Amino acid sequence: MSYIKIRNLNFSYKDDEGNPESVLRDLSLDIEKGEYVAVLGHNGSGKSTLAKLLNLVIEDYDYFEGSIEIDGMEISSPNMTEDDVYELRKKVGMVFQNPDNQIVATIVEEDVAFGPENLGLPREEIRARVDEALRIVGMTEYSRHEPHRLSGGQKQRIAIAGIIAMRPDCIIFDESTAMLDPMGRREVVNTMEKLNREDGKTIITITHYMDEAVRADRVIVIDDGRIILDGKPSEIFAKADKIRECGLDLPLCSDLLIKLRERGIRLDGEINTPEQCAETIARSLLK
Amino acid sequence: MSKIKVENVSFVYSAGTPFEVKALDDVTIEIKENTITGIIGHTGSGKSTLVQMFNGLVKPMSGRILLDGEDIWEKPKSIGSVRYRVGLVMQYPEYQLFEDTVIEDISFGPKNMGLDPDEIKKRVLEACELVGLDFDMLSKSPFDLSGGQKRRAAIAGVMAMRPEVLVLDEPAAGLDPAGRNSIFDGIKRYADATGAAVIIVSHSMDDMAKYCDELVVLSHSKVAMFGNRKEVFSRSRELEAIGLGVPQITRLVMLLRDKGIEISPDIYTVDEAETALAALFGGGV
Amino acid sequence: MNSIALGQYYPSGSVMHRLDPRMKIILAIVYMVVSFLCNNVFSFVLLFLSAIALVLISRIPLKTVLRSIRAIMFIMIFTAVLNIFWTKGSPEELLISWGIIQIYSSGIYNAAFIAIRIFCMIIGTSIFLTYTTTPIQLTDALEQLLSPLKVLHIPVHEFAMMMTIALRFIPTIVEETEKIMSAQKARGADFTSGSLSKRAKALIPVLIPLFISAFRRAGELATAMTCRCYRGGKGRTKLNVLRFTYRDLIGVLMMAAFISGIVLLNIFAPGYSM
Repeated sequence: MSYIKIRNLNFSYKDDEGNPESVLRDLSLDIEKGEYVAVLGHNGSGKSTLAKLLNLVIEDYDYFEGSIEIDGMEISSPNMTEDDVYELRKKVGMVFQNPDNQIVATIVEEDVAFGPENLGLPREEIRARVDEALRIVGMTEYSRHEPHRLSGGQKQRIAIAGIIAMRPDCIIFDESTAMLDPMGRREVVNTMEKLNREDGKTIITITHYMDEAVRADRVIVIDDGRIILDGKPSEIFAKADKIRECGLDLPLCSDLLIKLRERGIRLDGEINTPEQCAETIARSLLK
Repeated sequence: MSKIKVENVSFVYSAGTPFEVKALDDVTIEIKENTITGIIGHTGSGKSTLVQMFNGLVKPMSGRILLDGEDIWEKPKSIGSVRYRVGLVMQYPEYQLFEDTVIEDISFGPKNMGLDPDEIKKRVLEACELVGLDFDMLSKSPFDLSGGQKRRAAIAGVMAMRPEVLVLDEPAAGLDPAGRNSIFDGIKRYADATGAAVIIVSHSMDDMAKYCDELVVLSHSKVAMFGNRKEVFSRSRELEAIGLGVPQITRLVMLLRDKGIEISPDIYTVDEAETALAALFGGGV
Repeated sequence: MNSIALGQYYPSGSVMHRLDPRMKIILAIVYMVVSFLCNNVFSFVLLFLSAIALVLISRIPLKTVLRSIRAIMFIMIFTAVLNIFWTKGSPEELLISWGIIQIYSSGIYNAAFIAIRIFCMIIGTSIFLTYTTTPIQLTDALEQLLSPLKVLHIPVHEFAMMMTIALRFIPTIVEETEKIMSAQKARGADFTSGSLSKRAKALIPVLIPLFISAFRRAGELATAMTCRCYRGGKGRTKLNVLRFTYRDLIGVLMMAAFISGIVLLNIFAPGYSM
């Protein structure tokens, strides 16, 4: 059974005049435990709404139809109690865009402890989880620092540690790299990858950056509230026209090879990364 | 023609305390008219300090900033007029919007310049056209716009002052690909229409390769490289050593050359690579 | 920019810094009360010496301490002078009589006592509470000390959480203010010249974006906290539990010795008493 199972989801917000504004349309999706999924889509495509729904942090909506099941729990059910929601949030953690706006405490380790403290865990258990989470994100030596003096990438890793310390099965990254410089992005994406590969966490990352999506096992492209493409990165990036239609860019090297193919040049092989592209070009040229 | 000269400029934060941080160390560069200059460097390399020096928000501790050959700090009282001649768009400029309508917000700069209403209106419309903001947005509240539109309105607010030098700190940060492209296209239109010197700060080597003619690489508060695109990107190994990397296309070209393929090393964008490779493949079909 | 000091916390790493902050709050209150117990020259001298001892133990430079009480000096002198003129003693204490102004020796004593009392109260509270305790420690300690009030449905935890968040966001918002000011300056805003009303008006382009951003941050933070299973103080545990150690015990004993000293001097020491 899938870890996340979404069936025929229709969702709309109320706009300022109180009219419904449709965001997700008849969306169905299955995500297995341990998958590493990148969700792409331009601003306003509905991808962030989808993420927030998975954690039930949307309040002011107009219309909600269809079903969302997470780990066998029907979270779209009207019978969800406050305790059910609490259980859900233990399973699915979220990391947001702006690191400044998700850090609560004035000392790193106390911020990481915030989640476990809310869970009412005993002190020794909190200590162990905080130390473990800081180790996983590589911030152990900063445990007594003040978060506002850290770099963007470091702050975001603290935010991630705060989620890891709650030991969720699944972590959703809602454009968590958008405000970071390349070094910070690398730090965060490496952390995501590590959480998936080593700790078996289900990772869902919402991003604009194609080079981040390439590293996932699976890419989903959302446009206008619908899933347009869903597959392995290499399958997705081969569909250049569709990607461009959705207001997205291809990784530059993939773009180049597709343009060459469009000129009628035969290039067989993978085209996700510069290395693969070089390999593919070399093979055809030196044949 | 040189528009701005930065001569031996240094700056230190919290000087004389144990928290002393060097931001700029003996920086000398030149910004040309009719040219888009890119400034690249890590967070903390001194970029942001340098950017705020061009228009006199930060005063150098030593060295001079020359605008058209004149020291901008010659008469500190008239530094205000320098801010109209050198327009600065800070990072995430949409957070500076405050007026009730978009048109009033874009007019804020020109109004401070003391222009007459007709001229202000003319400039506002012109700026909107350059950044690609629809005129029917003008009467809306800036807070009702989408993220990308807000960004464009904020940039238009600086363009409407018609600065001779336009400086932008990470103008496309956090936007989706469509948003990024529209911002850079707007900047390019401004450069072409006015002949202004444009300075762009960015982390993205790919954007730099695509839009900039000249490049300044800052590392540890010093100028590590300064020259045209070709001069800078040809030192790809050094760029990688600084940790900045090279444009993805340049990396691809380097890999191809390593494999013994005869392709010019001076290729930085998709279009250039497409032309060169098509030629190698015998012009396609 | 990054070195915004909140309050006057002075990290000298003394024993005083390592005392349990709950204990320090209680000691500060007790110290204030004791300063009111003093009633003769000897006990006031002891009180004064104790304040000096506090400064020495906490290893805060005397200069720093004196600079911070400069503002209070005026009140001290003012009250002291008032006491000199207003105290009416018995006729044998009369020192100077000049028209309606009559100065008694008891007035001089009282003035000195009041000055010492104010001085010691200020030194005591600032050593215990601001110089050696971070605002966040104070917040934590207050939450725990006041937690019995929860029975009366007073939202102690919520107030403490609000304080913590405020402390956490002060540097962020100060930084943001500077950024917005720079951005508006770049568009020709002038914050430094013109009449007062003009300057106040010039702040609008800073304040509006600042408020909007603060609301946005508040919304995002609330969402992030919700996602981390925050639902108020109920059932919450803490990573860093405040602990009463042998050091705190020494603190209590020293305070007890000090109080007995004052009381004994009050009863047995000779001379003028208040």
